Amino acid sequence: MRKVWNMATKEFWVTFQSPVAYILLCLSLIVFNAFFFVIIDENREATLRDMFVLMEFLFVFMVPLITMRTVAQERDNGTMEFLMTTPTSQAQIILGKYLGVLMFFSTMILLTFPYYFIVSHYGQPDHAAMAVGYLGIWIEGAFFVAVGVMTSSWTRSQVLAAMSSYIILLCLYFSVIGLKYADGYLHGFMQYVGVMTHSQNMFSGLITSTDVVYFVSGVALCLIVSRISIDNHLWK
Amino acid sequence: MIKVIDAKKSYGSREVLHGISLEIGRGEVVGLLGQNGAGKTTLMRMITGFLPINEGQILVDGTDISLDSMRARRQIGYLPETPPLYDQMTVTSYLTFAARLREIPASRIQSSVDECIQQTNLQDVRHSVIKTLSKGYRQRVGIAQAIVHQPDILILDEPTSGLDPVQILQVRRLIKELGQNHTVIVSTHVLNEIEDVAERIILIKSGRIVSDVPMTDIQGSGHSLEQYFLQQVGESADA
Repeated sequence: MRKVWNMATKEFWVTFQSPVAYILLCLSLIVFNAFFFVIIDENREATLRDMFVLMEFLFVFMVPLITMRTVAQERDNGTMEFLMTTPTSQAQIILGKYLGVLMFFSTMILLTFPYYFIVSHYGQPDHAAMAVGYLGIWIEGAFFVAVGVMTSSWTRSQVLAAMSSYIILLCLYFSVIGLKYADGYLHGFMQYVGVMTHSQNMFSGLITSTDVVYFVSGVALCLIVSRISIDNHLWK
Repeated sequence: MIKVIDAKKSYGSREVLHGISLEIGRGEVVGLLGQNGAGKTTLMRMITGFLPINEGQILVDGTDISLDSMRARRQIGYLPETPPLYDQMTVTSYLTFAARLREIPASRIQSSVDECIQQTNLQDVRHSVIKTLSKGYRQRVGIAQAIVHQPDILILDEPTSGLDPVQILQVRRLIKELGQNHTVIVSTHVLNEIEDVAERIILIKSGRIVSDVPMTDIQGSGHSLEQYFLQQVGESADA
């Protein structure tokens, strides 16, 4: 566990050495702040539900920019050879990298906490529902990050890694749109894999085991594929 | 210390190592020579556990790396051809990170980092960000990460590539010093670099060992290493 933590902290600090990190943090704050005041002013409701929906949409585009370098850059710089010749397992490398990026993503979420206090100060919100909403956006983001780490483990090109992430995340995000054209098993499948099916419940304050299992198993699946991907590259 | 038994390696249908066998004892300094593409890097990567072998066996201090590569990795320090550096980190933070991954106890990390900085003469740049360093310093940081855990075995792939003559001399001197306490394998195709460092020369050609002799034998034969190398490789290459 110590090595995973070492990898994670290194990944976290290295992310902050990149201007992309600061641009993303500033951009997200500007966009979130602007929409927060518009949404509150428009709805006049003491809830963050619509904010979470907006954040979910923006994270589809932001997360691949954070995750694209994680493994691809290591491979491109030759530092993967260094990591893999230390007594560190491939699983520890992937887990450490994932946690490092997740820490950065969590920082983005933390920066939106003032919204909670503003809404609480001026209204009487359902605190439990907001807490579940925050859990929902965080766990969904954790899934997006895992998808990004997975695609980054497939290639040494950061651009290709980001593009692959966009394709997967957009498919997951928009799959519910295609529901009316599908029936039978396909309908059920598309409904289940669509992230919106699971996130909307949580944004409304409803937490179900199905939704939690969906996100947690999604993270696990992506990390397992990442672990296998870096293993396969040893043979090439 | 290192025993390679009939090791074979293929990339797809292309076989790059055709059953290599060798034994390197504790404290030996071995020069691994060969033309580009001869299979030197592949062999070293297999010994470090980075590349799995297709057939055969590699034992590091009696441990089969296919069965327990972690144990073998703890005993090996490795400098790949391109120093594996994180440009955004400072020299000290990078070496501390390497020390942690190399399982050095927390109480000894600082002293281990200080020691390898001293050995590689990096005191002046220890707080510098790696991307600001010259090629010579970068190479030395690469060597420092390989020795931070004081491994029994040190594997250096082209340690002087791209360095100026002064830097080459410094690295050569460093390898000589390290050779007093470590088993060292140095791969290079710069022959004079290895001449006064290695005690033994292993020559690889097209994935096969064509010569494995003590350096004293070559010197005793009245040939320079360059003449010997050309004799073993060049003649066939001309043909």
